[in-house]
Amino acid sequence: MRKAEKISIVKEFPYPHVIIKDFLDENTLDLVIDALAGLEYDFKESDLFSYWASIELTDIDHPAINILREDLGDEVWRKKVAEAFSCKMLSSIDMAAYVYGLGDFLLPHDDQVEERIIAYSLHLTPEITEDMGGSLQIFDVDETNSSKIIDSIIPEYNSLIMFEVSKHSWHQVGEILQDIQRLTVTGWYHG
Amino acid sequence: MDNINFYYLEDATLSNLNRIFNSADIPFIRLSKFLNEAPNMIESELVSEEKIGYYNHKIGDALLAKFWDSSEFKDFLCKATGLKPTFRNSNHVSYSPGDYSLLHMDESESSRLLVVYDLTKEWRHEWGGYDLYTSPDKDPLVCNRDFGSLMIVKLNSGDLSCTRYVSLKSQFSAHLDRIIYDLE
Repeated sequence: MRKAEKISIVKEFPYPHVIIKDFLDENTLDLVIDALAGLEYDFKESDLFSYWASIELTDIDHPAINILREDLGDEVWRKKVAEAFSCKMLSSIDMAAYVYGLGDFLLPHDDQVEERIIAYSLHLTPEITEDMGGSLQIFDVDETNSSKIIDSIIPEYNSLIMFEVSKHSWHQVGEILQDIQRLTVTGWYHG
Repeated sequence: MDNINFYYLEDATLSNLNRIFNSADIPFIRLSKFLNEAPNMIESELVSEEKIGYYNHKIGDALLAKFWDSSEFKDFLCKATGLKPTFRNSNHVSYSPGDYSLLHMDESESSRLLVVYDLTKEWRHEWGGYDLYTSPDKDPLVCNRDFGSLMIVKLNSGDLSCTRYVSLKSQFSAHLDRIIYDLE
């Protein structure tokens, strides 16, 4: 079950984003991680990224995944997310699990695809530190398309990061620099 | 002509290069030790250039700018490829740890001949930084860094190229002269 029921103040610069710590209670967290460990992951690689991805979790019927889907996407939470970001009511979510190992990365992109309103990422790697890599880096981009890293968010265990998707929402996942498995459940709230 | 390795100027070699180039899925040849003497690096003259989501690298004048537009080199290109390329531009490009270019930066490109002269020393494959060429319905072509090699690739409209992200663990930067010739 959800442990966090309140969304802290959304930071507006360089685009609206928020970090919620201790999102799930410990029992749910253990069950979810066990369930994710039992999934198959395919290696995906392009000029933009390198990581391992699960199948879409939206349609999987698994007790722990069902609870997670409710915790991230039930009507009560969607309403809170919409209020926090001052956006219209959110209709649904999609979700998949991703594992980044040594050398994996996701280069700068803005996530813009039709109907994506809020992006989220639930971080599930215990004891991750900055020097391991894998931080979520948030860019401010000027009119010449040059960027500056404004925030480098360490993906702390059981923290949920959300941000508003727009032409400004440039971000990347920094290269993994040590032999770890950076596990996340990631997706979008749709309008 | 003194600069080009004499082996690549022999009629038999040129004939072979022409055959290999025109029989490849994506027309391509790679010529190791192309020049008798590689130029010295002058990195201080490079400037950072970024278009986020497209590329992030340093760029400056090609180290061999005059040579790439010389009649001698263009004559060699004609013989090696069977094409009639027209010089468009040349640059020296450097990719440091964290730098990259993405395939879609080429989306508006027309038919062209791309020449890359590699000046990257002491490179490891796991650092990335290799060149990637793609063409619809064809297997992508990966071209690893190799100091002193000249790569020649023919790309049509819709074909894409990029230089793979360079790992933060890389101890050096990738350096290359990158020259584009237009094709009729």
